Amino acid sequence: MTDTHVAAPAPTAAPQPEEPGSTALARAALLLLRGRTLVVLVVLIIIFSSISSEYLTQSNLILMTKHVAINAILAIGVTFVILTGGIDLSVGSIAGLSSMVAGGLLFKGLNFPGGTVFFSVAVVILIGIVVGALVGAVNGLLITRFRVAPFIATLGMLYVARGAAQLHSNGGTYPDLAGTEARGNTGFGFIGVDSILGIPVAVWIMVAVAAVAVVVTTKTPFGKHIFAVGGNERAAVLSGIRVNRVKIAVYVISGACAALAGLLLTSELGAAYPDTATTYELNAIAAAVLGGTALAGGRGTIIGTVMGAFVIGFLSDGLVLVGVSTFWQSVVKGAVIIFAVITEQAQQRLQSSLTRRTA
Amino acid sequence: MKYLPSRRAFIAVSAASVLALAACGSGDESSSGGSSAAPAASKLVVIITPSPDNVFFKAEQDAAAAQAKSLGYETLVLSHDDDPTKQSQQFDTAISRKAAAIILDNAGADASVTAIQRAKDASIPTFLIDREINKTGVAVAQIVSNNAQGAGLGGQEFAKLMGNKGEYAELLGKPTDTNAGVRSKGYHGILDQYPDLKMVAQQSANWDQAEALQKTQTILQAHPNIKGIIAGNDTMALGAYAAVQASNKKDIVVVGFDGSPDVVSSIQKKGIKATVLQPASKIAQMAVDQADAYIKAGGKTDQPEKQSIDCVLVNPDNADSVKDFAVAGS
Repeated sequence: MTDTHVAAPAPTAAPQPEEPGSTALARAALLLLRGRTLVVLVVLIIIFSSISSEYLTQSNLILMTKHVAINAILAIGVTFVILTGGIDLSVGSIAGLSSMVAGGLLFKGLNFPGGTVFFSVAVVILIGIVVGALVGAVNGLLITRFRVAPFIATLGMLYVARGAAQLHSNGGTYPDLAGTEARGNTGFGFIGVDSILGIPVAVWIMVAVAAVAVVVTTKTPFGKHIFAVGGNERAAVLSGIRVNRVKIAVYVISGACAALAGLLLTSELGAAYPDTATTYELNAIAAAVLGGTALAGGRGTIIGTVMGAFVIGFLSDGLVLVGVSTFWQSVVKGAVIIFAVITEQAQQRLQSSLTRRTA
Repeated sequence: MKYLPSRRAFIAVSAASVLALAACGSGDESSSGGSSAAPAASKLVVIITPSPDNVFFKAEQDAAAAQAKSLGYETLVLSHDDDPTKQSQQFDTAISRKAAAIILDNAGADASVTAIQRAKDASIPTFLIDREINKTGVAVAQIVSNNAQGAGLGGQEFAKLMGNKGEYAELLGKPTDTNAGVRSKGYHGILDQYPDLKMVAQQSANWDQAEALQKTQTILQAHPNIKGIIAGNDTMALGAYAAVQASNKKDIVVVGFDGSPDVVSSIQKKGIKATVLQPASKIAQMAVDQADAYIKAGGKTDQPEKQSIDCVLVNPDNADSVKDFAVAGS
């Protein structure tokens, strides 16, 4: 988590020879700043657990982590996009759309002229994720082939996907997703309600998604390409990276992650409604930024983003737990995000001055 | 445009049916029916409500549109999504289309006044349903369900279900919505009379199901002895109930407000314990009826502007007779 370091062949990543003395204090400060998300998280836990004895209990930590899981999965997807210098505002709506698609398949099946077909839960989940990936692919195509700015393309998709979710049920809610034995579609609650070894399945899924994302971003050529596109797109083109392919891929990943998050939320709720995950895109972007991902692209880590999601989740749940009013919850959350970006800037300045001094 | 002939035919048919209705009615107003049908393009009723995402507003839209059609009107159904600016633009549409009347579930008690005034200046009467505005003399009628009375009913039932004692939590609606405050006040008007009923948490879940789920989970963590949750509307009650189901304290009492079909079916299945039904369909029909009478009387009404319709408690005793926001026989 202290590794908000540049993880790409970018110019500032020059090796820094050790030099004792005057810079030692600056180095310590830098280390603290790099690990600031963790520091903030620890501070939050100390504050809340001193106010309420219920905060730092095993069951509450598990519950909060479960709440974090949904935002973390959304944020991991968004991080891929932001690393390329793009943005994805449509993830909340994609989560809502995939939630409605899955809800509809479970509740009323798929109508064919010959009759109604019901799919097993595994197939429904797969279809939900594929829908999200497809919407992401459309985002990617709009941005690469039609040269629409990512902000605009995904802003448009925010409305389109939300509208599609509402159209899916004509605005209604699919109230019961339990399925029946006869239809062979029971068990949707598994991903959102059940636990394995005392840990909610949703948390295991978050861990799995994060692990895969860490490997993809740090250990694969595709990961290097993502950072290269975000760091300097022109250079990436010149070095032979298929920039458009990389870009489409990150929006597909973001769409699929959003769909997965929507399915987890829907599974836990046991009902699908078209407003599911409204404005969640903002929480996801906030988590990425809190975790040290630069909106300009080229810099950030998956672990940082997950830590950011933990800070937001542990903060929101803590405020609810100790009974703070909704208005103050909003103010505090915003202030923490701004504070995080300020420290991010401080880190950048300190880092570049250190680099200069030691070079 | 293309649809003119069919629309003309429609007007003719509807005018005829209005005349026929008037003829078999009491008869003393039969002349006004004919005279108001004479000016062209005045057979349009514009129905504007919040998003039909919430089944409550969908029931409103459907009831109003069906009633208007049965009275021979053409309808235009719009949704302002709780955005006063969008609502204002929709009023412009209604005015430019020379609507005969507007049925409105408004987007803000203060923010809606100017738009309604604009319609009034264009001689288009507005009939408000479900939510009031903070000004009288602008709309012809303001027909709302009695939220205070309804919350009183809900509070009483909740206290009874709790055995008049124990810890409970309250989920508030969107803080900017008047009804959120009115309902909470109504609940507390009853609940605060019982010294052994103790509210240990009060949080807004913004009328949202998923938010209610997560906040309830956290509240149950903080206060493991909670015996009941009272919610400002049914979507939040459903979210709270999902949280209760997932916990190991399944006997927690959950009470909602609205009378939505999902909650009614949960009551039938012994899930959520009670809700307060707002007669949404009845109110929408009343508004259309009064609009019709107003048009036929040439711009006069014999009803007071502020009308408040009582809510009905729904519990396992009468849940079977509830359909589309109406209790059979009420």
